[in-house]
Amino acid sequence: MKLSSLTSEDCSKAAVLFNSKKRILEFISQLAHEKLPHLTQQEILNALLNREKLGSTGIGRGIAIPHGRMSGAQSPLALILVSETPISFDAIDNRPVDIFVALIVPDGDCQLHLKTLATIADKLNDKEFCKQLRSAKTDHDLYQVIVEHS
Amino acid sequence: MRSEGTFLIRNKLGLHARAATVLAQLAVKFDATITLFQDEKQAAGDSVLALMLLESSQGKEVKVVCEGPDAEPALNSIGELIEQRFHEHE
Repeated sequence: MKLSSLTSEDCSKAAVLFNSKKRILEFISQLAHEKLPHLTQQEILNALLNREKLGSTGIGRGIAIPHGRMSGAQSPLALILVSETPISFDAIDNRPVDIFVALIVPDGDCQLHLKTLATIADKLNDKEFCKQLRSAKTDHDLYQVIVEHS
Repeated sequence: MRSEGTFLIRNKLGLHARAATVLAQLAVKFDATITLFQDEKQAAGDSVLALMLLESSQGKEVKVVCEGPDAEPALNSIGELIEQRFHEHE
């Protein structure tokens, strides 16, 4: 599985400006709704917020992977956002987060979900990849970084 | 000090993001270097990203190796967490 196959240029957003966890999750759910119009923005937002209630998806090193399992999703969708300034996200290392790889995944397929998480983890574990994500100035540049590393 | 043990992944979702996060948060509490092994892959116990790369699903066996002054309590705690399905219902 390739990260580029899970996302698209219109799901890649560089230098976004949000100042809270709630605001960026709202923006992510709006973007996801545009890709998955049969799911409402509110349903997507609720799925993301419910997951955060179980424990922050801020996994350290300035990275978060907000995600929601949704029965209406046919295949995994990844949205990649880089924030201009890091946002407080209750991450496990208490560091604010500037790289967000959000996932909307089908409910039920555990193997596929683990495979999707491993695909994302493989890329995010690469410090050079993260550095290039953070340096991308435009959505197009950000998407190119993802394609080149996939 | 070195302690190691092999544990079965029992929870339905396997070592998904939340389970990996709970394990990493537990691992950092001990003065020990903790490494998980599954098949040919290995991961530092305190790295959520590394743990997710193991792709450990229900039914897989993972070997946990702890080295350092807290090796034994670390192994006991991590083993218990895995055995107790990461506190998940299924």
